[in-house]
Amino acid sequence: MTYILHTWPDTAALIVRLVLEELELPYHAVTIDRPNGALDSRSYRALQPLGKIPVLETPDGAIFETAAILLYLSEVHGQLAPAPNSPERASFLKWFIFVTNEVHPSVMQIFYPERIAGPEAAAAVTLTATARLHEDLTLLDQMVARERPAWLSPAEPSILGYFVATLVRWISTLEPGHPARWPASDFPALCDVFTALEQRPAALACARADDLGLTIFTNPT
Amino acid sequence: MYLLHYAPDNASLIIRLVLEEAGLPYQTALVDRKARRDDSDEYRNVAPTGLIPALETPQGVLFETAAILLWLCDRHGLGPVEAAPARISLLKWLFFLSNTLHADLRQLFYPQYYVPADAKDVHHSLVSARLQRHFALVDQAAAEMPGHFTPGGILAPYAACLMRWSVLYPEGQLPWFVLKDYSTLAQMAERLEARPATQHLIRAEGLGPTPFTAPSLASPPEGSAT
Repeated sequence: MTYILHTWPDTAALIVRLVLEELELPYHAVTIDRPNGALDSRSYRALQPLGKIPVLETPDGAIFETAAILLYLSEVHGQLAPAPNSPERASFLKWFIFVTNEVHPSVMQIFYPERIAGPEAAAAVTLTATARLHEDLTLLDQMVARERPAWLSPAEPSILGYFVATLVRWISTLEPGHPARWPASDFPALCDVFTALEQRPAALACARADDLGLTIFTNPT
Repeated sequence: MYLLHYAPDNASLIIRLVLEEAGLPYQTALVDRKARRDDSDEYRNVAPTGLIPALETPQGVLFETAAILLWLCDRHGLGPVEAAPARISLLKWLFFLSNTLHADLRQLFYPQYYVPADAKDVHHSLVSARLQRHFALVDQAAAEMPGHFTPGGILAPYAACLMRWSVLYPEGQLPWFVLKDYSTLAQMAERLEARPATQHLIRAEGLGPTPFTAPSLASPPEGSAT
């Protein structure tokens, strides 16, 4: 069976799509009719009860939560992350969960600050999320510079690489003057990973599909 | 032998319940939160985020609750490890608990890290309403997939601790979590509470007689919950 990815351009569905492309898996990308409220439709809520993007339909059932999808794909296909029984798994897992639990939420708070405490507190929420995000990305960058892990490296693609690269892509597309608009080069060890990833056929295919330009991670348009 | 860096009634309790229930040998190292030892250089050498828990293993130090749970699950066969429908359910509900529910709960516990003081009330009502929906979904999942929410797995202890803390923290909040609204989770809490593993930790961390069905603030023999 072919995978079915429920998608919307430049959302977390992009991370899953990058990984599907990297694994050269057959899939259909179904664009969610978001402008007409399809996220709230009964059929979509049956797949994703909160109406969030993305969902991946697989031969084993539908799966949601971006990190769960990425981990599932890496396990089924035995690629793009250390295997569950490998000695590198412990180290990989803690940083993978760090990215999904700490880094990703801060990015979402920067894009949707009003969801946290209403529109009046949005500016203050943005600033605290920005400070936290910078601290967390710096921590990750320093770890990569120090430990040079194979699972977040310019030498080979990984689910964690595509995950972090996409998150940093988003913040570097914020409007000029936004406090969290840092170029990827602020995180040099990570930037080396992003540079390698964006030249891969998987990234170029996704860039074409969503019309995202040729340097989707280091110099996004 | 594992070494669990813990503070009483902190997220380390989730890991400790799993270790106890699986009968895995471990030692504990108290992180003294009253003395802000979680923010010390010494602890940040173990867990650079300063977050509790951390677990020292023969394959290095793990931090982030969900990472530790999944790693223990896979290493000791505490849940489905093969890629199949069961693995999908495990992963999506583990990440739902961790990335969606626990993440929102942390905002409720520590609003000062997220919102200005004058927005706290709006924040509390927005986040607690979201959390009620999250718990309803977990309740439904537990009803549909009871095999995933047994005391020997990783999801039940995780969910039960999140339920406990929803009642207790932040202190002085308007109550928003009522266990009987979630009938399957209430039954799960009752079963978990009766387990020897829980009974042992009730004593070890001063959790009170009914830590999941009718929680009270911890009065631990060592260390401090906050």
